[in-house]
Amino acid sequence: MLNYKSSIIEDKKYSGLSIKEISPIMKLNLRGKSRDFLSTIGKNINMILPIEANTSSSSDKYTSMWLSPDEWMIISNNIIDKENNNYEIEELLFNKISKTNLGSVTDVSDQFVLINLEGESVFDILSSGCAFNFNEFMQKKGAVTQTLLAQVDIIIHHKEINNINLFVRRSFSEHLMSWINDAASRL
Amino acid sequence: MFLINCPFCGERDQSEFKAGGEAHIERPKQPTELSDDQWAEYLFMRKNIKGVQFERWNHAHGCRKWFNMVRDTSNDEIKLIYKMGEKPPTE
Ligand SMILES: [Zn+2]
Repeated sequence: MLNYKSSIIEDKKYSGLSIKEISPIMKLNLRGKSRDFLSTIGKNINMILPIEANTSSSSDKYTSMWLSPDEWMIISNNIIDKENNNYEIEELLFNKISKTNLGSVTDVSDQFVLINLEGESVFDILSSGCAFNFNEFMQKKGAVTQTLLAQVDIIIHHKEINNINLFVRRSFSEHLMSWINDAASRL
Repeated sequence: MFLINCPFCGERDQSEFKAGGEAHIERPKQPTELSDDQWAEYLFMRKNIKGVQFERWNHAHGCRKWFNMVRDTSNDEIKLIYKMGEKPPTE
């Protein structure tokens, strides 16, 4: 049984940075290569998966992020029902993609914790624990990257200028949060 | 520390990658007809030279894709990066 108790107990505010967990958010991992796979997804969720590396695309309900030439993550833009673990589009995509062997659809909603970081110091914090070159990334709304922050695997989505969504595996989230808090307290 | 140009994600720090050993080792077509020595040669023996070496690398903390790299082991100069399944350069 999954422990829903979050390690991120409270929202935090520092000079130029505020941190909060956004939950619950639907997160689906999609894998596939064929043209049929891409067009079926496009038709069913009304959104074209980004083909260009390190980019994302959004509709009013969902955002899809490029992870690899044959891998994407789709998240809900808004918070979903806490009591209910069924997502309409998961069932829809599972039937149209997984069952027809076009690709795979995996629910990773509870695998990843979504931490939102906002403020002018966002990229100072990230740069202090990460070898990734943020020069281009910070100019580009919608940019996506996977990299290491304080030796923890993360996915970053540049939602708005100076506002990022950071995805981290649940078991690493507590460690990463304490690292972020420590780094932020020295800004 | 050096940068590696992932064929899918672009230039990233070396810490995002894992080295995967020598490239272009072909699995013998008829393993049952090999002697133990020949099988061990295929399975275990790898070049470890000072100079230009053909290697496989994996973008482990990024797109998780494998690719090939030609690297000078004496100074870490990357001569060439090309995708899996592509033929190694003859020169
Ligand atoms: Zn990559």
